[in-house]
Amino acid sequence: MSFIALILKNLFRQRVRTGLTVLGISLGITTVVALGVITSGFKATAAELLRLGGADFMVAQEGTADMTFSTVSTEDWAAIARRPDVERAEGMLFHVARVGSNPFFFLMGRQAQDLAANPPPLKTGTVFSPAETDVIMLGDRAAGDLGVDVGDAVEIDRRSFRVVGTYHAGTLYEDGGGYAPLATVQELAGKPGVVTAIFVKARPGVDPHELALGIEEQFPNLASIVDVSDYGEVDQGLEMLDAANLAISVLAVGIGAIGVMNTMVMSVFERTREIGILRAVGWRGSRILRMIMAESLLLCVIAAGVGAALGVLATRAVLLIQTISNFLEPQYTLEVFARGLVVAVIVALVGALYPAYRAVRLTPMEALRYE
Amino acid sequence: MSSRELVVEMRGVVKTFEDGRVRALDGIDLQIAAGEWVTVVGPSGCGKSTLLHLIAALERADAGTVVVNGEDLAKERDLCRHRAREVGLVFQLDNLLPTLSASENVQVPMFEIGLSADQRRRRAQELLALVDLTDQAKNRPAELSGGERQRVAIARALANEPGILLMDEPTGRLDSESGRRVLDLIQALRQQHRLTVVLVTHDAGVAARADRIVRMLDGRMVGEEVPAGRPPA
Repeated sequence: MSFIALILKNLFRQRVRTGLTVLGISLGITTVVALGVITSGFKATAAELLRLGGADFMVAQEGTADMTFSTVSTEDWAAIARRPDVERAEGMLFHVARVGSNPFFFLMGRQAQDLAANPPPLKTGTVFSPAETDVIMLGDRAAGDLGVDVGDAVEIDRRSFRVVGTYHAGTLYEDGGGYAPLATVQELAGKPGVVTAIFVKARPGVDPHELALGIEEQFPNLASIVDVSDYGEVDQGLEMLDAANLAISVLAVGIGAIGVMNTMVMSVFERTREIGILRAVGWRGSRILRMIMAESLLLCVIAAGVGAALGVLATRAVLLIQTISNFLEPQYTLEVFARGLVVAVIVALVGALYPAYRAVRLTPMEALRYE
Repeated sequence: MSSRELVVEMRGVVKTFEDGRVRALDGIDLQIAAGEWVTVVGPSGCGKSTLLHLIAALERADAGTVVVNGEDLAKERDLCRHRAREVGLVFQLDNLLPTLSASENVQVPMFEIGLSADQRRRRAQELLALVDLTDQAKNRPAELSGGERQRVAIARALANEPGILLMDEPTGRLDSESGRRVLDLIQALRQQHRLTVVLVTHDAGVAARADRIVRMLDGRMVGEEVPAGRPPA
């Protein structure tokens, strides 16, 4: 008999209690994993957004609660474009509107010449020309969802747009949304003379990070977003998700630890006499400690496995809702599952501390006299 | 008492409980030689089991010295090693772990002596063969009779090849036939393994199997005798 076999026997002698404890902990882990998968998905999508049009980084208004609230004046845009270390600065206005059944259609206002210079990979039709106004290029996912193709009309905020082309960029926001002329989108959104963000490409030989810092120095009201970790400067949504994830992890640890402690305390109480026997045949306190801690760890690792599986199922279920799948692509990263496992291990260690301490403190005779 | 090497020496041993109000052992002087079978008899509450617990290092004496195999237990820091290697304990209730099979119960003490899982399993098989329970190796305690459980407990007590077997009323809960078989087994094992046996009982028939009988009353030794029909050691 191995030590692990002994631990398994101890753990599964009360199958219902162990099962319920595993279920309780795994629900906490499910939440941690599901939220982690969703947060990672949002971050990955945000990272894609930074590089729109082949840019090195994005510049937006600093301190906005949501990136779509950002406004950058066309004067600032022009000033950035004039910098000698900037190869290209492209302004875009984002407008979220209901289109068909999708309440979060992502409309990107972009100048025709910029679009022509760096178009997304076309599938059908063409890019729009500078002379056109109420036209739109749709991502293939959006076109598919709406059931439209080149030549068809799409209504956005009670304004009709003629589809001139479709594309597949491979990114969620682009393929689920569309490009329309900047002036038209400014008019539609009621934001004349401003863009949401400027997508900057550094000249060859210029370090994008240094350029980003230089722009921030020149324009204190703007923030440069070089990678997704800078996103909080222009959009607090991801930070809020991160904070929620942390809070739920802490809650999961607290609630889970109490559940484990309850189970392990009961288990130690029930086995007091058996612990006395183990001490009487020579088992050291350290071995008893290892036994209790290992039982708790095993319990929580099983819960982590169950919780991770439930977390994946939960996110898949959420993505069946088309509204959500339009702007969220879940990321099942190792980091997310590692976080679930870490939470489970902390739950195990915290939950087992008191019962293990109690078991180790028992003298052999105290335990043997226990009825 | 034998002139052979002493394995247990108790001098002036005092053990109290309940903050000194109950004096379980009150100045015990006892020497036990290697290979000897000593039975301690006396009425309930006279201190027999406490005496056994002190030799097993399950408790420490309040005063006096308890020396086992040359080690003064008051000075011994690693009492777990003593319990794991020097003595084997058999209780009145078999005290087997209910979720483990007979073989697994026998293996439990071996965790402390660094045997591999395979070595533990093989040694448990040998010990169960010794107590004639090879066929019951996979059975849990609930599937064994009282006598069989007590034989498993004896096999477990011998797991780490101790020199001293300590038994607290090992036949107290058994019918006479099962009790006789257990005592025959102890007798045989003692001869095969050169064991020293210290057995506590208040059954005169059981006591008569010993080389020497020690009588206790109110925490004191009140007499020693050699059972009838046995030569003095």
